[in-house]
Amino acid sequence: MANNPMQQFSVHKIGPEIKIAGIDLSFTNASLFMVVSAALIGIFLFLGTKEKKIIPDKIQLVAEMFYSFVAKMISDTAGSKAKPYFPFIFSLFMFVLLCNMVGMIPYTFTVTSHIIVTLIMALFIFIAVTIIGFLKHGFKYLSIFVPSGVPTVLLPLITIIEIISYLSRPVSLSVRLFANMMAGHTMLKVFGGFVVSLGILGGWLPLSFSVALTGLEILVAFLQAYVFAILTCIYLNDALNLHH
Amino acid sequence: MKRYLVLVIVLSTICTDLFAAEAGMPQLDPKYWASQAFWLVLVFSVLYISIANFYLPKIKKNLDNRENKIKEDLDEANNLKILSEKKLKEYEIILQNSKKEVTKILLESKKKLDSDIQNKKNTIEKEIENELSKAQKEILELKKNSINSINIISQEIASNIIEKISGDKLNESSIKAAVEDISKKNVGKYL
Repeated sequence: MANNPMQQFSVHKIGPEIKIAGIDLSFTNASLFMVVSAALIGIFLFLGTKEKKIIPDKIQLVAEMFYSFVAKMISDTAGSKAKPYFPFIFSLFMFVLLCNMVGMIPYTFTVTSHIIVTLIMALFIFIAVTIIGFLKHGFKYLSIFVPSGVPTVLLPLITIIEIISYLSRPVSLSVRLFANMMAGHTMLKVFGGFVVSLGILGGWLPLSFSVALTGLEILVAFLQAYVFAILTCIYLNDALNLHH
Repeated sequence: MKRYLVLVIVLSTICTDLFAAEAGMPQLDPKYWASQAFWLVLVFSVLYISIANFYLPKIKKNLDNRENKIKEDLDEANNLKILSEKKLKEYEIILQNSKKEVTKILLESKKKLDSDIQNKKNTIEKEIENELSKAQKEILELKKNSINSINIISQEIASNIIEKISGDKLNESSIKAAVEDISKKNVGKYL
């Protein structure tokens, strides 16, 4: 059991079984680490905004850095029209980042390594962006599938490709995050298992790999949160500022 | 990222025995999907509401405050700079004016001094001239007087000398005429 690299992803129930309308909504270890991540964000932001100093202290500076980082990301990719969605993008970025980062601590559970979690986030973004697009532009939003400056002969083909690429957005968005998290953690576990099985003599090589991979995984954890947020911004940009 | 997946697949084929216990990925087991979705929506909603309504406005307010403070400070510094420049200009104008005044005063006093000196010189010169003319008049008077007295003295001397030599008294008027004739002839020679 313990040697199975996929065992770390298994979900189990914590506490009593909660069933609402016949659906199992029990509190699980996945739920626990969602709560932990959200709580960490809350504590971090609470400490970062507790004192309003003109010259910020360290934690306030970090909180403000995150704020301006996300603000810059949004204004760079989606422009000023995306301002009302700033809290959502900020929450999304912080949540994905913290879930990824908390998952890097040994014996924790990585919330974002589950396809259902990332798929729900991606589907929500996809549906919301589509609704925003139709609300802002009406049926003209469909012109997103018809790029300008394409020869008439190629237009049907291009339109089909555009529709497929648009519809595959939630899949690519969710699978990217989920696969990265799962693959990274599996690799860490596999190399950790090699260290144990090769023992004191041969275990040093996988151990050094493991150390290097941990650094890489922390980078990937940040990068995937950033990619997730910036792709959301790009989709939002498509919906807000029609025509590319 | 593809490299990762390939590695995982390769590794998982190597360690197939490790997978024997629990085949496949727990992610694809739908048993807890509903639970995960429910808790994700719940937790994320709470997080979003607290961030959107509580934390972000605070950070934004603080950032704005700082920006405003910096702007205000900069504005104040600029105002002070403008003020100091104005003061400097005023000071320079005052300095220039006073310099002008100084040269004016200097010139005026010099003029006054010059005219004073000139006046004094003039009066002194006039006085000297007066004195000189007076003295010349006196000299002239003296000259005239001296000619008369010389004439008289010469007459007396001549009459005396004639009396002593000849013993006779000559006519006084003839002597007088003779002396006057000689003095008239020789007056240019002595005076």
